[in-house]
Amino acid sequence: MIDQTLPIPDTAPKLRSRLSWVWLGVLPFFLFIGAFLLYPAVSIVVQTFTDPASGLTLQHILDLNTPFIRSSYIYTIELSLVTALGGGLLGFLLAYAITVGKLPRFVRATVLTFSGVASNFAGIPLAFAFIATLGQLGLVTQWLRSIGIVLYPSFSLYSFWGLAITYIYFQIPLMVLVVAPALDGLKREWREASENLGATSYQYWRYVAFPVLMPSLLGAMALLFGNAFGAHATAFALTGGGSQGSVVTILIGAQLSSDALSNPGLGNALAFGMIVIMGITIAIYSRMQRWAERWVKQ
Amino acid sequence: MRVHRIWSWLWLIIGATYFLLPLAATLQFSLQAKKGVLGFTAYANVFNDTKFFESFAFSFQTALATILISALLLVPTAYWVQIRLPRLRPLIEFFTLLPIVVPAVVLVFGLARSYNRTPLTDSRQGLWVLLIGAYVVLSFPYMYRAVDTGLRSINVRVLTEAAQSLGANWLTIMARVIFPNIVVALLSGAFVTFAIVMGEFTIASLLAQPAFGPYMNLLSSSKVYEPSALAVVSFLLTWGSIAIFQGLSRDVAR
Amino acid sequence: MAINERRISRRGFLRLSAFAGAGAVLAACGQAAPAAPVAPAAPTAAPAAPAATAAPAPTTAPAAPAALPAAPAPGPIDLAAIGGMDKLVELAKAEGALSVIALPNDWANYGEMKKAFLAKYPFIKLEDLNPDGSSAQELEAIKANAGSNGPQNPDVIDVGFTWGDTAKKDGLLQPYKVAGWADIADELKDADGFWYGDYYGVMTMEVNTQVVTNVPQDWADLLKPEYKGQVALAGDPTGSGQAINAVWAAALGNGGSLDNPTPGLEFFKKLNDAGNFIPVVAKPATIAKGETPIALRWDYNALANRDASAGNPEIAVVVPSSGSLAGVYVQGISAYSPRPYAARLWMEFIYSDEGQLIWLKGYASPARLEAVKKAGKVSEDLLAKLPKISAKVAIPTGDQISKATDAIKAGWPTIVGATVK
Repeated sequence: MIDQTLPIPDTAPKLRSRLSWVWLGVLPFFLFIGAFLLYPAVSIVVQTFTDPASGLTLQHILDLNTPFIRSSYIYTIELSLVTALGGGLLGFLLAYAITVGKLPRFVRATVLTFSGVASNFAGIPLAFAFIATLGQLGLVTQWLRSIGIVLYPSFSLYSFWGLAITYIYFQIPLMVLVVAPALDGLKREWREASENLGATSYQYWRYVAFPVLMPSLLGAMALLFGNAFGAHATAFALTGGGSQGSVVTILIGAQLSSDALSNPGLGNALAFGMIVIMGITIAIYSRMQRWAERWVKQ
Repeated sequence: MRVHRIWSWLWLIIGATYFLLPLAATLQFSLQAKKGVLGFTAYANVFNDTKFFESFAFSFQTALATILISALLLVPTAYWVQIRLPRLRPLIEFFTLLPIVVPAVVLVFGLARSYNRTPLTDSRQGLWVLLIGAYVVLSFPYMYRAVDTGLRSINVRVLTEAAQSLGANWLTIMARVIFPNIVVALLSGAFVTFAIVMGEFTIASLLAQPAFGPYMNLLSSSKVYEPSALAVVSFLLTWGSIAIFQGLSRDVAR
Repeated sequence: MAINERRISRRGFLRLSAFAGAGAVLAACGQAAPAAPVAPAAPTAAPAAPAATAAPAPTTAPAAPAALPAAPAPGPIDLAAIGGMDKLVELAKAEGALSVIALPNDWANYGEMKKAFLAKYPFIKLEDLNPDGSSAQELEAIKANAGSNGPQNPDVIDVGFTWGDTAKKDGLLQPYKVAGWADIADELKDADGFWYGDYYGVMTMEVNTQVVTNVPQDWADLLKPEYKGQVALAGDPTGSGQAINAVWAAALGNGGSLDNPTPGLEFFKKLNDAGNFIPVVAKPATIAKGETPIALRWDYNALANRDASAGNPEIAVVVPSSGSLAGVYVQGISAYSPRPYAARLWMEFIYSDEGQLIWLKGYASPARLEAVKKAGKVSEDLLAKLPKISAKVAIPTGDQISKATDAIKAGWPTIVGATVK
């Protein structure tokens, strides 16, 4: 009836008790997240759908439908997708280099520990580091000018691509950290076995390595997407002073953390919108997981 | 294989350039505290403050506690989801990714409000518990992903069956079979969590905790060159701490 | 996978979701429902609110939303009611702590203010909450922590002018009239003593003269092509008081008025189209680096940075010749302050001649400036250091501030922020 591969010990309680016993395993997690995230954050949902004057309302959600807010959501999603895919690819290559790529052991340790720090090197320090590097008077900008390449005004650190380049600074290390253990799990015997059977490198990757890695890769990309989507301080330092295209987190800040009398209903609706988008992302990612599993079985 | 290795070194060098350049630029700016001269004035100002070490130590302890609790919560959960409750996976992944999109200010005010009339908000110690709770939640996205990846790369079912056929109970399986095999992955998550706790300041500040983040922020708001010096110093210190973790864990794994 | 297991798992899944949903709804009702504020909210330790308060009956009473507990009885209204300064110090000593919020050290010389306060009253343990916080966050901190005795519950707030009234309406303040109450101008304070102006500053251009050799003197100068990519605001023009006031001040110099901030928005559109405006948030570091060599900031911030930089780099602070405006900040004591006497001690200190001089040293014009000058407390060299402001400075009323901030907040995305990548 239940999973056949798992032998049921003789001492196992009956079906109904085992049912509650199984849930016990995940209960601590749900209690914790209920107490420290869901309960405090429920105010987002509440304030999205209520108005101090008139009770339940959908007005805040409807207020989201302005061109500026719509384009902000699209801008943020695009930025997150680009940096998730870009950071994912580059991070994968770097992780590959230090695991399967046979670099010395100390290089691997250095890169992993560096990634730990760099994955959280964000906000004003990161923004300023990039201003000092790629800003109008930045190190690299001036060096490029000395060899004849003038970056500004066609390139600007304060545009979409400037933000993307800055975001990738913490996306790549995150990818490296998440994917390196997965790459470690690729047993050398599999590679040797496939070579013995006459498979090319491409065939090894297509039929052995990637199918095994795919769930971890997809999960990592989803994390990277979320990471970029929720990023605020970096974007704010670079473009928060009145940019033409704003990420949604800046808009939320302008409502919830403002010196101007603001509309908390709108701020919470914006945050609620972000939660919905994350939910959709998880749904898409789960779908892709299932699709990838089917691909493995081919 | 030789082409392999050249390729690997190439990627490493490109990566190193991209990552080290901004740090170099920050360093260069921090050395300009004295007009016209490159010097360590900004760094002297940073280290002159006793609060520097106090707040670093405080955040260090908080980080350790956070990593411990987070691991204890997530490893069994991810394990159960893998073995018994795969249908629950999307829900758990949604919940673990949620902390990324909830703004820190909303979270901290929500916590303050929710636990307002409890001992958790009446004293600094109580607030510390609240802080750790918030940090554990903030670590979930990264810890869960790391643990999940780790569990996928070992064959959990086979290991569990083998252990069960040898007569182990669930606790033994967790402690003696699963945990040791995912230590590497756990460490990845631990590194990120450590960096997060060391750098976080909104929640720590609003919960009146003497953490490193608020200290750094207080120092940096006024000065010009000290923030860059502080960024370099905290980067190196955090990196050093993580490297120590890495070294110690290698002994543990043996 | 066997059918039984699938069905069980789905049922379990649904059960869990329903449980979570129900829990959330219950909790939500407890937090948000404005029940009639007749009975003081029973201090429930458990987070799950009783279903009785779940009915979302809109309240007719104008006072605090009943989600807040009833405030403790307000403390004494002035020094006389307390029984003199020594008595106040004694009572504050018994409390032994003070929590302030959103007071950056470099803002209007607050660093020195805090230090001087602690030097004079060493028994106070000062808690510095959220120094970079906004006025909204200060009020939110009072609301979220109302009823708690911990150090994270702020005692005093320093907020933008219009927020004083908002806080009073929300029942978040308790009245207190400092010793020098009569010296504060009527238009800068609340008649009942709930909030009172502390200092104000003038919007200026802070210029890094090592990068910008030809220092601009007026708004129109900023449009010149030599300043390409050099002009920046110090915050988000849809949220930061400093940035919004910069836009408003620009309006004054471009044909607008205190009642008409739209020319300011149009000016920034022109600035943006010319490529002179960059969206980086200007901070001392970015100004020194030369990335935002022309920053629009309050004079006290600009002058403090000039002094702190000590020539590295050279900074010039210019008040636009066609006019600027003043931004007033107000103080207030939280109605839920767990340390009301320490709060009063703080107020007495910052409004004393000593405290007002500290603000003056920080180039912020304190509320009791005239009285302090008359008392002869302002030294000659301090007077000499103060910038000479010859241009017109407009001081808006609370009403004008609300209207203008709304207009700029709403207008910026549509007029200036045309979404182009």
